[in-house]
Amino acid sequence: MSSTAPALLEVQDLVMHFPVRGGVFNRVISRVHALNGVSLSVRKGETLGVVGESGCGKSTLGKCLIRLLSPTSGSIRYGDEELVGLSHGDLMAHRKRMQMIFQDPYSSLNPRMTVREALREVAAFHSVETPNGMGAYIENLISKVGLRPEAADKFPHEFSGGQRQRIGIARALACNPEFIVADEPVSALDVSIQAQVLNLLMDLKDEFGLTLVFVSHDLKVIEHFCDRVLVMYLGSVVEELDCENLHADAQHPYTKALLGANPINDPDDRRPLTVLQGDVPSPFELPTGCAFAGRCPVAEDRCHQDRPRLERKTCGHQVSCWAVD
Amino acid sequence: MSEQQVSGIQKFMQGRGIRKLRRDRMAVVALWVIGGYLLIALSVAFGILSKEDVFDRVGPDNVVGFWGSQDGERRLDQAQFRIERIERAAKGSNPEAALANFRIGGVSAAPGTPDEVLARVASAWESFDAVAAHEELDDSPAVPPLFSELEQRVDRLFESPTGFEGFIQTMRMSLGTDRQGRSILFRALYSTKVAVQIGMVAALISVLIGTLLGAAAGYFGGWVDHLVVWLYSTFSSIPWIVLLMVLASMFRGGSMDGTLIPVYAAFCMSFWISPCRVVRGEVMKLKELEYVQAASAIGFGRTRILIKHVIPNTAHLMFINFSLLFIGAIKAEVILSFLGLGVKNEPSWGVMINQAKAEVLNGFFWQIGAATAFMVVLVLAFNVLSDALQDAFDPKHV
Repeated sequence: MSSTAPALLEVQDLVMHFPVRGGVFNRVISRVHALNGVSLSVRKGETLGVVGESGCGKSTLGKCLIRLLSPTSGSIRYGDEELVGLSHGDLMAHRKRMQMIFQDPYSSLNPRMTVREALREVAAFHSVETPNGMGAYIENLISKVGLRPEAADKFPHEFSGGQRQRIGIARALACNPEFIVADEPVSALDVSIQAQVLNLLMDLKDEFGLTLVFVSHDLKVIEHFCDRVLVMYLGSVVEELDCENLHADAQHPYTKALLGANPINDPDDRRPLTVLQGDVPSPFELPTGCAFAGRCPVAEDRCHQDRPRLERKTCGHQVSCWAVD
Repeated sequence: MSEQQVSGIQKFMQGRGIRKLRRDRMAVVALWVIGGYLLIALSVAFGILSKEDVFDRVGPDNVVGFWGSQDGERRLDQAQFRIERIERAAKGSNPEAALANFRIGGVSAAPGTPDEVLARVASAWESFDAVAAHEELDDSPAVPPLFSELEQRVDRLFESPTGFEGFIQTMRMSLGTDRQGRSILFRALYSTKVAVQIGMVAALISVLIGTLLGAAAGYFGGWVDHLVVWLYSTFSSIPWIVLLMVLASMFRGGSMDGTLIPVYAAFCMSFWISPCRVVRGEVMKLKELEYVQAASAIGFGRTRILIKHVIPNTAHLMFINFSLLFIGAIKAEVILSFLGLGVKNEPSWGVMINQAKAEVLNGFFWQIGAATAFMVVLVLAFNVLSDALQDAFDPKHV
């Protein structure tokens, strides 16, 4: 996508802390620091990948973007409007424009609703279609995601995982949104099905003119699917770069480690395998310096004391690391 | 719209749960048994048993039912009772009318003028005295022919119904009579209606209250949850039998005394706790599922999500709890009525067992036996059914 397209979504210093309550009086005894000042922007029509290990806050980020969660602080500007701090009623107008595709196809569909009921509910709630045109609208939607029209009157348990994920995609599209957060939409599927669903998403993205935020822990999928990628570690963005030249451009040691952990389809390419030592620091108490310093192969003294900031290296490439000039 | 609803019901009937239930042979038998009970309860509710059959004397006291043979003492008592009845009618101020209207249960007096009747009564007394003269009624070899003579003479005083009426009369006496000469079978049948009524109402209301409170607590959390948990912790810390007794005695003497309302109130207050607990836990689990999050991403309000997406998925718990509480209510009714705090002014299995206390000491167990047998069969069928329901409708159970 052209980098000149206007930003659809602009996020500044997003912070999400989950309070942990306990004790006799149910006081806040601790906090999970899920997001610590995340900034990003999504341009209209692009696909932004978000990658990181489990627990790095990528799903939390996705849920904050469509306001399933209320961020502790920061700002999310969607077009001209600020989403942080909006009440449930004020958000209603936005719900129609942004939707989410969920990870687990087995728990993301209500087992007691047929496909038709589930889709009609969404379309009718947002008045996307008149009651008269509803039948045709739903059948059209179902065929768009690659299912037969007969599927409309079946219950979720009658479908396979891949088919269920298609239904989940149809539900997200039912209110005709322009922005979709896909939270690991293929990680629960077989590899053969993953490719089908990814291709479907790509086709639909062009057809509906969608802007996508694609959350995944799989760099290969992101590389194949996205225009840009944010690499997250312990609630912060450590690197943001274009997907086109991922291997050549990656500069942050964590991104390099992630890339190095992915096998390459070339038996002659024998790279030395670098395995990260140690564990992710506790999200209850953040370390003072760089969050990655404890596991970083190139960490210096400074890394343990001062936190690096995300700095622009070239156009569309930002890194937060002291060791990178 | 209605077409889609029909297809929804068909879908449900062809669904996995029902299919599994139908494959369970015990469950099918249990369903038939329960269906039979419901049929009895409905027929009683629509008045198939007359008031006299349930509340009034239909024959001599303590008639032994079914295959049991009466001992000599009791045969003599019953002969005496019957002769006295006819004699009293024939010797009254208006003997013709009294004899014409004479009726115990389905039995009427044999035709004849009062004088003829009195002559027959006298011969019956004669035979009665001959039997009563013997000290050892059961052992003496001379007694049996005398007894058959007496009973033939007594039978001649009456006209027993024939045909269908006769069949009803046989049924009426088939489980014997209680101390007041009332039909045990018909009272037990009538009690079926009382039991089903109490079970249905108490279980339905308890499950509704429990599900709503539990779902609200689990879904909204916060102070709603605290309130509901506090409520049921408090209620469940009181032994339920004590709560039932306190509530039942609170209503004593009030305008609702004698109706079933105190019983319903007592049951619902103690029974809503178990469905509430289970549903609360299930809803806490369900609300974290992605389809609930998807519903809020669509923009539905919390109440709509709760009603359309969360509560329908606790339906299996509602089924199972209903069938458990149904049994619970029936058993509790028996205990409460046995203690004299439950059903009043009509028979119920508990009332029957309570009345049987004195009879049992005399070796007369038909009343307690009938009430217990009716209850055991129904409770057993429901236990089998609730197990089968659990297997069939629990999504986690394969």
